[in-house]
Amino acid sequence: MHHNPIFIRQLSYAYPDGHEALRDIHLSIAATEKVAIVGANGSGKSTFLLHLNGILLPQTGEVIIGELPIVPQNLKAVRNFVGIVFQNPDDQIFMPTVWEDITFGLMNQGLNKHDLSHRAHHAMYAVGLEPELYASRIAGNLSGGEKKRVAIAGVLAMQPQVLVLDEPSAQLDPRSRRQLINLLASLPLTQLIATHDLDLALELCSRTIVLSHGQIVYDGETAAVMNDSTFLEKHALEMPLSHCKPYCLVVDRPSDRPHPATLGEIRSRG
Amino acid sequence: MLLHIGAFQLDINSQGNTPWHGLAPRTRVLCALLFVFATALTPNERWGTWLIYAVGLMGLIILSRAALSVLLKRVAVESSFIGVVLLGTLFRGGGTVLWHWGWLQITSEGLAVLGSVTVKALLCLLMMNLLVLTTSIPALLNALAELRMPSLLVAILASMYRYIGVLMEEFATMRRAAASRNLLSSSRGKRLVVGNMIGSLFIRTYERGERVHHAMLSRGYTGLPPTIECPQGRSQDRWAIATLVMLLLIGQVVYFL
Repeated sequence: MHHNPIFIRQLSYAYPDGHEALRDIHLSIAATEKVAIVGANGSGKSTFLLHLNGILLPQTGEVIIGELPIVPQNLKAVRNFVGIVFQNPDDQIFMPTVWEDITFGLMNQGLNKHDLSHRAHHAMYAVGLEPELYASRIAGNLSGGEKKRVAIAGVLAMQPQVLVLDEPSAQLDPRSRRQLINLLASLPLTQLIATHDLDLALELCSRTIVLSHGQIVYDGETAAVMNDSTFLEKHALEMPLSHCKPYCLVVDRPSDRPHPATLGEIRSRG
Repeated sequence: MLLHIGAFQLDINSQGNTPWHGLAPRTRVLCALLFVFATALTPNERWGTWLIYAVGLMGLIILSRAALSVLLKRVAVESSFIGVVLLGTLFRGGGTVLWHWGWLQITSEGLAVLGSVTVKALLCLLMMNLLVLTTSIPALLNALAELRMPSLLVAILASMYRYIGVLMEEFATMRRAAASRNLLSSSRGKRLVVGNMIGSLFIRTYERGERVHHAMLSRGYTGLPPTIECPQGRSQDRWAIATLVMLLLIGQVVYFL
């Protein structure tokens, strides 16, 4: 594994209608680091992710993956190096059956039948799908959590060194979300996770990058930014629930609020 | 309308354990295609040939234990489309005039052509529906690829199969949303709303297509779908094709004896 798999310098990107989605992005990500990318809707997260394996080519600046700059002739190697799991599994799983979808990337890599089957099985076990039960299932008939796992398996099977996830916990029920967090925590890959789920970011990622209007406004320790509620609110975010102190007990109530009247007091006032 | 069919499952009898299911999907597709071509290319009014083919096909339907009611229902729905085309053949000229009203006339030749084409269409529809009913769609698509159908075409068919369910779901969601906001009960208003829904479905399909393409690219897609290896044919597959060819030839030969 390369010790500095992602290096980005002065990356800017504007859409054809002139909207500037990314402005002067500069960052470097070390191997096995887990980084959360947070920001409001339209802050440029998805555009940024699409640059990481060359779906979008940098307009200005450069993106270097491993040792390869993203230019058309390196795309094949870059896409084997960086795997992207898209937000909506229905976009990601485009083959009729689970097995065909998981082996899609492997077939593009030109693997022989034996290696292909071995890797696909390995990936399915890694995400907790029994190959005997799931291989021949029709992709459209799976539940949301299962689809997400199939999507991740399809990317893991390609054995990328960097895993990029766009909103991995969106539309998952609590148990599927928990399974996903455990799965991601157990994978020893470099991970970039774009998310609105700050609890997930806090749990998985030691480093957080906050994007706002296409610019990096914070890049540092996750725990530090999650405590700063004014900063988060300024960038249309909210403190994670696990950092908000619950005041179910009266002694925990904020001191500026009046003491709640008891039922007896209200009655006597009336 | 197709979007109104509740559960979307074409291959309800694909898990059977009969000699027909024992054949490789590729062989089944090949048999069906041979049968359809032989039937369609037989000249008109060869009733004996079609009788033999029909007996063979009946045998196959019984052998494969396909759900007869589903098979007939599907053939009935499809026949209504073909019926429109068939009606045109009835009023053609030639032969003796049996009935006429103004310029409309029914002749003996018209009747013969109508009968022949109807029998041909019915046999072909039965065969194709039997194939679809008893073979899972992914297996069918693989079989087409193995039979050297251009892989891009197979890929298009595969994504059509994958996404028709998603589109139906999206359309149903839009309809529910419209209904929950008191979709006007007048039929004109309803037509307008459904028209708009279909329009927005087109745009969503286009956008989804773009996202799917991104997902394909990011897993190393280069514009050509991956090709699959073609397994060797087994003896039962060879026997099945030989038997079918014999049946087809016997059907043709009866007219030369």
